[in-house]
Amino acid sequence: MFRVASDTLNSRVPAGPLEQKWDKHRFNLKLVNPANKRKYSVIVVGTGLAGGSAAASLGELGYSVKAFCFQDSPRRAHSIAAQGGINAAKNYPNDGDSIWRLFYDTIKGGDYRAREANVYRLAQVANNIIDQCVAQGVPFAREYGGTLANRSFGGAQLSRTFYCRGQTGQQLLLGAYQALMRQVSTGRVKMYGRREMLELIVSNGAARGIVVRNLENGKLEVHTADAVVLCTGGYGNVYYLSTNAKGCNVTAAWRCHRRGAFFANPCYTQIHPTCIPVSGDYQSKLTLMSESLRNDGRVWVPKNKADQRPPGQIPDDERDYYLERRYPSFGNLAPRDISSRAAKERTDAGFGVGESGLAVFLDFRDAIARDGEDVVRKKYGNLFHMYEKITAENPYKVPMRIYPAVHYTMGGLWVDYNLMSNLPGLYVLGEANFSDHGANRLGASALMQGLSDGYFVIPYTIGDYLAGSKHSKLAEDAPECRAALQDAENRITKLLSVNGRRSVDSFHRELGLLMWDYCGMARTKAGLEATVPRIRALREEFWNNVRVPGEGSTLNQSLEKAGRVADFMEFAELLAVDALHRNESCGGHFREEYQTEDGEAARDDENYSYVAAWEFQGAGNEPVLHREPLVFENVKPSTRSYK
Amino acid sequence: MSALLRILGLPALFLSKVPGLGSVIRALSTSVGQKLLMATSGLSLVDFLIVHLGGNLQLYAGEEVFNAYAAKLHSLGPLLAIAEIGLFSMFALHIGLAVSTAAMNSTARASSYAMKQTKQGLFVLPSGGASNWMMVTGLLIFVFLVSHILDMKLKKGFGVSYPPAAADAGDATNAFQNVKAVLQHPPHAILYFVCLIALGIHLSHGIRSALQTFGLNHKNWNFILRWTGFLLAWAIAGGFISVVAWALAVKN
Amino acid sequence: MSSDTLNLTLRVWRQAGPDKPGGFCDYQLEGVSTHMSFLEMLDVLNEKLIAAGDEPVAFDHDCREGICGMCSLMINGQAHGPDRGTTTCQLHMRRFASGETITIEPWRASPFPVVRDLVVNRSAFDRIIQSGGFVSVNTGNAPDGNCIPVPGHRQEIAMDAAACIGCGACVAACKNASAMLFVSAKVSQLSILPQGQPERAGRVLNMVAQMDKEGFGSCTNTSECEAACPAEISVSHIARLNREYMKALIFADR
Repeated sequence: MFRVASDTLNSRVPAGPLEQKWDKHRFNLKLVNPANKRKYSVIVVGTGLAGGSAAASLGELGYSVKAFCFQDSPRRAHSIAAQGGINAAKNYPNDGDSIWRLFYDTIKGGDYRAREANVYRLAQVANNIIDQCVAQGVPFAREYGGTLANRSFGGAQLSRTFYCRGQTGQQLLLGAYQALMRQVSTGRVKMYGRREMLELIVSNGAARGIVVRNLENGKLEVHTADAVVLCTGGYGNVYYLSTNAKGCNVTAAWRCHRRGAFFANPCYTQIHPTCIPVSGDYQSKLTLMSESLRNDGRVWVPKNKADQRPPGQIPDDERDYYLERRYPSFGNLAPRDISSRAAKERTDAGFGVGESGLAVFLDFRDAIARDGEDVVRKKYGNLFHMYEKITAENPYKVPMRIYPAVHYTMGGLWVDYNLMSNLPGLYVLGEANFSDHGANRLGASALMQGLSDGYFVIPYTIGDYLAGSKHSKLAEDAPECRAALQDAENRITKLLSVNGRRSVDSFHRELGLLMWDYCGMARTKAGLEATVPRIRALREEFWNNVRVPGEGSTLNQSLEKAGRVADFMEFAELLAVDALHRNESCGGHFREEYQTEDGEAARDDENYSYVAAWEFQGAGNEPVLHREPLVFENVKPSTRSYK
Repeated sequence: MSALLRILGLPALFLSKVPGLGSVIRALSTSVGQKLLMATSGLSLVDFLIVHLGGNLQLYAGEEVFNAYAAKLHSLGPLLAIAEIGLFSMFALHIGLAVSTAAMNSTARASSYAMKQTKQGLFVLPSGGASNWMMVTGLLIFVFLVSHILDMKLKKGFGVSYPPAAADAGDATNAFQNVKAVLQHPPHAILYFVCLIALGIHLSHGIRSALQTFGLNHKNWNFILRWTGFLLAWAIAGGFISVVAWALAVKN
Repeated sequence: MSSDTLNLTLRVWRQAGPDKPGGFCDYQLEGVSTHMSFLEMLDVLNEKLIAAGDEPVAFDHDCREGICGMCSLMINGQAHGPDRGTTTCQLHMRRFASGETITIEPWRASPFPVVRDLVVNRSAFDRIIQSGGFVSVNTGNAPDGNCIPVPGHRQEIAMDAAACIGCGACVAACKNASAMLFVSAKVSQLSILPQGQPERAGRVLNMVAQMDKEGFGSCTNTSECEAACPAEISVSHIARLNREYMKALIFADR
């Protein structure tokens, strides 16, 4: 199913002690003279936390930036939906936190499948992120005395999470958005909304531009620059149902992959334990209930499978608080992958609750009895309100029903320490890259990574590339631009001309179900082997039987979806192949064949302690595997235990 | 409409050229600036109404007291004229701004909804949906104003038979009888009654709205502010209506 | 809940493009589950239209959990439908009765031109933020977070204002298509926080000027915006904007 390349990828991690790598590296990076910066142009695709902060920061430095997003405004990127918070090792609560501990927790949380140097840098700059956001006017929660408040979050035993009620992502994104708008007003950043990236333009081996479709009028546009920064988020929507926004897609990343960028660890997908369960086949997306709820909510199922009593009437000794039972020291705060699998284990064994049996209880009875309803409302009011709106049940009275759902993808385009992909000039930031979370991401770390990449990494590393690049301006009608434009146009024509009988959504739904069943929370060799040909068959049917109504020259949402689903169809196969090739369980990737006696993930450090970076060889052709060995000089990979 | 707006804007355009005033005038010409002027003129008109009502209520004290009050007012001479000019310019400003904001608002919603419902409760007490009736009630008040000036000041009330003026004492001595003559004329009584109801509605939103425009909104005070605005509005309107009712009641 | 499925008549605004004439089309939709969200109901309608060879109804949506502000829709004349504090994507069909006719229109305001069907262009909001809805602090310039203390209750008020999702329901619901609630939310947030002080006067003057330039209507303190706002932003922020404006008018060094 794949071929293995004999080379090893060079991550360009600088030598020296871990704590000094980033400092020394910054010293070694070439600088661009302030007066020269405006002569360099940078394209930023995506305006979430990573893209928004990158575009704003690059604009502030003086580069000529063009920023693109498919939404009508950069303020709507899906970073906005992050609820819980953002980590930093400020140690404000005086509970023993340190940069080293944040680094260690993140490496361990990622099940020892992340690059030490990247994670350490992330932990280092996390504190600056908090400062930056406070200075922008982000209204972080405060103590009565006016200092910043912290709360605890899954996977950590101390309070290091900064938050803005249940809408931290929104506030951080608006902070970055406002910084971006400020640059737009100065003219240093030009903003292009409702544009979808359809092709990457590669010239002389370097990324030099993109082809976008103006979604309002269907016009294809070519934009060229000296470098391209991709901040286009994750691929969770390959499962159709996920907590991602409907528009989230893999297209930009996949188009780059098709042009030569390696795709790393696609099988590392995060299934979030606390989501509102599926209620019918019309369902279009799943809604996350913040992990912070597990600070006070207790997760349980009835001990007796046949228990049909309303949950409130089931006495304590007939409830199985399975997280507290299995992981006494972390209890309900066990990391996401562990909690999700534990929920799956219980429901698979027949203990699930609700109509479908695919749910467990998250109960606030004890917290309400202890702290009173008002305290609980103050902490989680908006989440409870949201739950009630969706389910028409009052969580103050009856326990919430929750179930795991696809939430985040740790895999992404491969990047080196500078966040540059193997294609020179193509940088990848935030969820779109693979870099910092290994095989599992801890809560409140995604916001940290997105902003770290955008505010504090790319501004330095891109200068090094630009200062060293010697290319001349690429004309928008250069042959490579025209060719990319033609490719994009051909694809649109092809999608519109199939004129089959099935809607785009029906294909997406089918693909999603296939992926959830065989590449979801638990995977097996047999299941994955059977899935690959089924994905191929579905892809073939798609290109023969999809119906995309309307024209290419207007706003056409079916066409937008069709392009994205077509790329998911190709990408899904790579995800399955990656899952199949990784004969171990780690973090979000759980292969049933590889588990310990008590059902925990069994890693194989001897054979799989590497990043799997895949090279595209044409749709349907065997991809080539490049490996980047993971070297642990500072922490010793051990069996991850939260007991 | 836009031609009218340009004419209304001329004084502002002229004033904005005055050194030192320019930026203030420009800031007062924005939608928020216009609202501030609207609120200022509105509240000064409310002040006038309170004073005017105070005068009117002296009708209850009998003919002599009321006529004496009227005489005193007239004796102010040039001061009265200045006050009247001030009053009329407030009216002009208030009406001019109403026309200008209405024009701005109708341009902002060039095509209207096929269906539109409020999301506020059915009876948003105390002011109810009064804010939706500001134009209509304002227009009625304008009609009233014209008629009132004709009736009371110029004594040209249509169809009203005024008592003959006492030759030696000037106009004012007859004020009491003049008021009665106007208010006892049924079409006038009806017109006054309807327009004063409109005044009550107009003020029940207007007073609170002006306070909001001046930034008076605080959760500790909103209850009091809202009810004060409402009660003051209807106290004023009610006071004037009581005069109409009184005039009809003492018909003999 | 009377029954689990609904039969509905949908009266939907269809418009092929910005400069094309628009009009209502009626569609019958049967067997709509009461557990569906409003947008899922529209998904079902679109699937039906595609199957019949028609063009689906274009509508904006993205996160479908009430935070991105992408979804809009005037539902039976109410912005985001009948529920308060709710976006269209969170509105569920259990709120409707079988046999009902539901009228669906786009936001209507001159600064929000229709792009297609129910999709409008809200970039005017971005331009208002560009005119001053930010704190001018470059990356890397920040002191330690705790060097800027903010009293807990002040921060709460700032957060109330900052919760704005920029959906435009305030404009859509206002009889004057005024954007005051949107503008005041940002002005208010930044005027309360110490970080916003240096640019306080210029911000309110510039943002109001830009709001007018975009062609939004004038606020007549009707409070319909507050009732329609899915983030439940209070008109007290409009009062604060007015105060800020007066202060800037009198004291600003210009």
